[in-house]
Amino acid sequence: MILVNYLAAVALFGTGLYVLLTRRNLIKIVMGLSLMEASTYLFLVSLAYRAGSTAPILLSPPPGHTARQLAHGNVADPVLQNFCLTAVVIGVAVTAVFLSVVVRVAQHYRTLDADQVRAMRG
Amino acid sequence: MTRAGIDDNRSVARAADREATEREPRHRPWVGALLAAGIAAALGVAVAGIPREHAPLPLIARYALDIAIPRWKLTEPVNEIVYGTRGFDTFGETFLLLAAVMSVVVITRPREPRRGYFGEAAAGAREQTQDDPAVGADPTEQEARSAERREQGGASHGEEPVETPDAVPLGTPAPERAEAMTVVVRTAIRVVLPILAVAGLYLVVWGYSPGGGFPGGAVMLGVLLLVYAAFGRRKISRVIRPDLLENLELAGAALIIMTEFLGLVFQGSFSANWLPLAQLMTPLSGGVAQLFSASELIEVATGLAIVVFALLGISHDWAPDEGRGSSGGDGGQGQ
Repeated sequence: MILVNYLAAVALFGTGLYVLLTRRNLIKIVMGLSLMEASTYLFLVSLAYRAGSTAPILLSPPPGHTARQLAHGNVADPVLQNFCLTAVVIGVAVTAVFLSVVVRVAQHYRTLDADQVRAMRG
Repeated sequence: MTRAGIDDNRSVARAADREATEREPRHRPWVGALLAAGIAAALGVAVAGIPREHAPLPLIARYALDIAIPRWKLTEPVNEIVYGTRGFDTFGETFLLLAAVMSVVVITRPREPRRGYFGEAAAGAREQTQDDPAVGADPTEQEARSAERREQGGASHGEEPVETPDAVPLGTPAPERAEAMTVVVRTAIRVVLPILAVAGLYLVVWGYSPGGGFPGGAVMLGVLLLVYAAFGRRKISRVIRPDLLENLELAGAALIIMTEFLGLVFQGSFSANWLPLAQLMTPLSGGVAQLFSASELIEVATGLAIVVFALLGISHDWAPDEGRGSSGGDGGQGQ
């Protein structure tokens, strides 16, 4: 029933997109983006899951197995876990950049309402 | 209308304004909901058709699991992928992180160079907060300035700062100065801190078991933030300095470039392993992967620390913009 996880990730993504499209508060827009990021983490980790599998660690294989057997046996997908690690780091970096821009916007325009920030408008 | 009446009207208008912002206006919620729901539906249909939990592992995952022990002597395939098979990807990610850190530094940087993240703004605070009589600030700026003055009230003419929060006698009336936390928190953090720091380093050194530079770096940032939260910024100001952190960060980046590039020199391929592999399940068993992981610890820990402290230390720059200041004399610019 990993499909439930996939659909939950899609729902999270949709929620984040909705927040992004409809809110005018810049902090909430950044929160919407973070929600969308979080949905990719959930999706990648769910995609790596295999029914009844163990972690892809060859350090101490379950009793009766050797590391070699484990490498060919039923384990979760390590490549997608690596993708998730990458996504987390990039998500943190991007959120930090957005937040610092928001702080500067708030200082310059004295508002967080995206509609009031209109210096670039004709 | 009398002056008082005008003022009254203004405050009513402002109150209405505030109420309007508290009700939080939105942009076309129905269009947004429709678009978001449409995209979610399309994605939902797409994920219904992708492999589920009973699908066989992709070939690339099997390959990584297969070569982890023979080629890298690593018992942790995820680390083998991060720093070995997909090392080039991690290399790119590192520099994406570096680019983000640089953007934050550029965005949050005050106009004059500073040696510390905190405290230095206080030196020029009097001049900074003074209104320039020649310019005559507009009402919103006056309001913002007075609000900032109110916020800083305690800091600028409060009691003498003490050397360490431990010197404040117990039972001093609350709220304590926002420098440090209570003695309970400080003691707990003193106990936890060395354990946490060792755990962070363990994650990196024992890279053949789950761990690596990224989680290790995040733990080291946690250590720094705990010290900051518990003991105040004065305690960390000797370590958390922009010049030190930024140089460390760039040294980490240089180490990563060197690690990956020497593979091209010695082995003929970028990010190939050029170090001898130690025995299985020893800290040096990953060869170049462990070196990469350790450099990544430096990179992530200092990068995240720079970002967090740059955001914490961000202060309002009252110097007028070049375009705006020109009408009212030289507007205190460039003096």
